[in-house]
Parts: sequence; structure tokens; C-alpha cells
Amino acid sequence: MDDKEVFEKVQKCVATALGRDEEEVTMEAVLSKDLEAESIDYLDITFQLEKAFNIKIEKDELFPQKIFQDERYVKNGVVTEEGLKFLGERLPFADLSEFAKDPKVTRVPDIFTVGLLVNYVKTKLPG
Amino acid sequence: MRYVLIDRFLELKRGERARAVKCVTLGEPFLQELDGYPSALVLESMLQVGGALARVSGPAGARTVLGKVDRADFPSVAAPGDRIEVEVELILSRPEGTLCKASATVEGRVVGTAEFMIVYLPPDMAPPPTPEEEERRRRLMRALKVPLEEV
Repeated sequence: MDDKEVFEKVQKCVATALGRDEEEVTMEAVLSKDLEAESIDYLDITFQLEKAFNIKIEKDELFPQKIFQDERYVKNGVVTEEGLKFLGERLPFADLSEFAKDPKVTRVPDIFTVGLLVNYVKTKLPG
Repeated sequence: MRYVLIDRFLELKRGERARAVKCVTLGEPFLQELDGYPSALVLESMLQVGGALARVSGPAGARTVLGKVDRADFPSVAAPGDRIEVEVELILSRPEGTLCKASATVEGRVVGTAEFMIVYLPPDMAPPPTPEEEERRRRLMRALKVPLEEV
């Protein structure tokens, strides 16, 4: 499956889960901010991806909960160097370059874009 | 479950599917004012059957809540005297919840279909049911003829 096919399938999954038009679901779209995803929607997106790609997504693998419970990772509302490293290890399919420029913990949801889902799915597909 | 909109379970297969019936009677007061049985209550029956299925299929002791309903459709209306058969299939299951597909029919005629998500609340969000709640649930399940080994 090529990148375009993966994107189109992810686009359909996200549009279905969030009740959006497919045109709104672009690679850059942030799930929370641009597409107004709420907590329950992340589970729905997970279900839609599992169904569409016939993959198994482990709990907390794609949308980890309580990622910054360790105080070494966040100081004064900002993700530390150590925290960024942890985030990179936890989400190897995420592009953290933009986030790293202003790593406020409140900006963590912005990491979760449609593009991140596409990258994630690609890591799960055979070949 | 405050309003029980299932009369009897026909089948409850852990991790797979459940079937149950709801009989519509004119004794339900609102039906004397309406032309037909409200579709919202057909949906509620589907959700209650799905909730029971999710409960026996999910993590032990977890509380279940409705996450969201997708693609609900009610192509026809039930009326007093109808026996609504509800069938719920568990499509996907995860530690956080399940995705279910349901249909409700009256002698083969579809009165409702829906897909919905049931979420398992983690223990830090909702403590497991108390022994009294468990007993109340067991009594209800017995009344609904759910095979006890599945409860």
C-alpha cells in the first residue's frame, strides 16, 4: 500500500469517527484543535484504524494516557529535554520538531495530527 | 439500569454477540398518546443489550458507559403487540471499550440499526460495583433469563 492509499484510508477513518467531511481531514490537521476531537473520539479513531487496516493497536501505543506523570519530564508547565527524549521514544512515529520549539505541556495535543496517524499506520503495515 | 427495555435474553455469547426481545404493549402509558413506539427507545434497547454484552466481554469488574452512537437508522416503527428482537454483535474489543453493531427487527422487518461504542471506565475513574449493586444486577439478569454462568 503506497502513502497516498494509506492517507486516503486514514482520512476516511478520521472523517467517520469525527463526523467530518473528508476534505477537512488534511495531513496537517490537528485532531483536537482543527477537527475538534474529544477524548472519546480517540478511541473511535483507534477502532476505525484497526478495522480499516486490519491491525492491532495496543493500549496506549497510539494515544498514550498520563504520559507526563514523572516530574522529571515537565517543569513549570514546560516539557524538559528529558521529557522530549521520552516523548520521542514513546512516539517514534511523531514529528516533534515544531513542538520542540515551544514545548509547553499544553501544546502536547497539537502533536496528534492526521499525518502522525499516517506515519503510525505505516509502521504497522507489513513490508 | 433504571428503565429496563429488554424483556428477555435469548443468547449472550461472551466476546461475540447477544440477542434479546422487547415486547411492546399498549400498557406503556406514552403509547396511548403516540402513533408508534419511539425509535429512541428502540435504540435504548439495543444499547442495553450491547451494554450487557460488553460487560461480560470486558475487563472483570469494570463499569461500562455509552461512548457514542454512530449511524443509527430507524426505517420503520414498532407498535403495540410487536415483539422486537434485538441483536448485537461485538465488532471490535479493546481494553478501553468495545465497538458494537446492532439491529432491531419485528418479524424480519427492521425497526432500527446502529453502531455504538461502549467504554470501560478505569478503576481510578469509577470504583468497581459494590456487592449490593452486584446483587441487584444479578437479580435483574436472572429476571431477564440470562444464563447465570454468563453473568
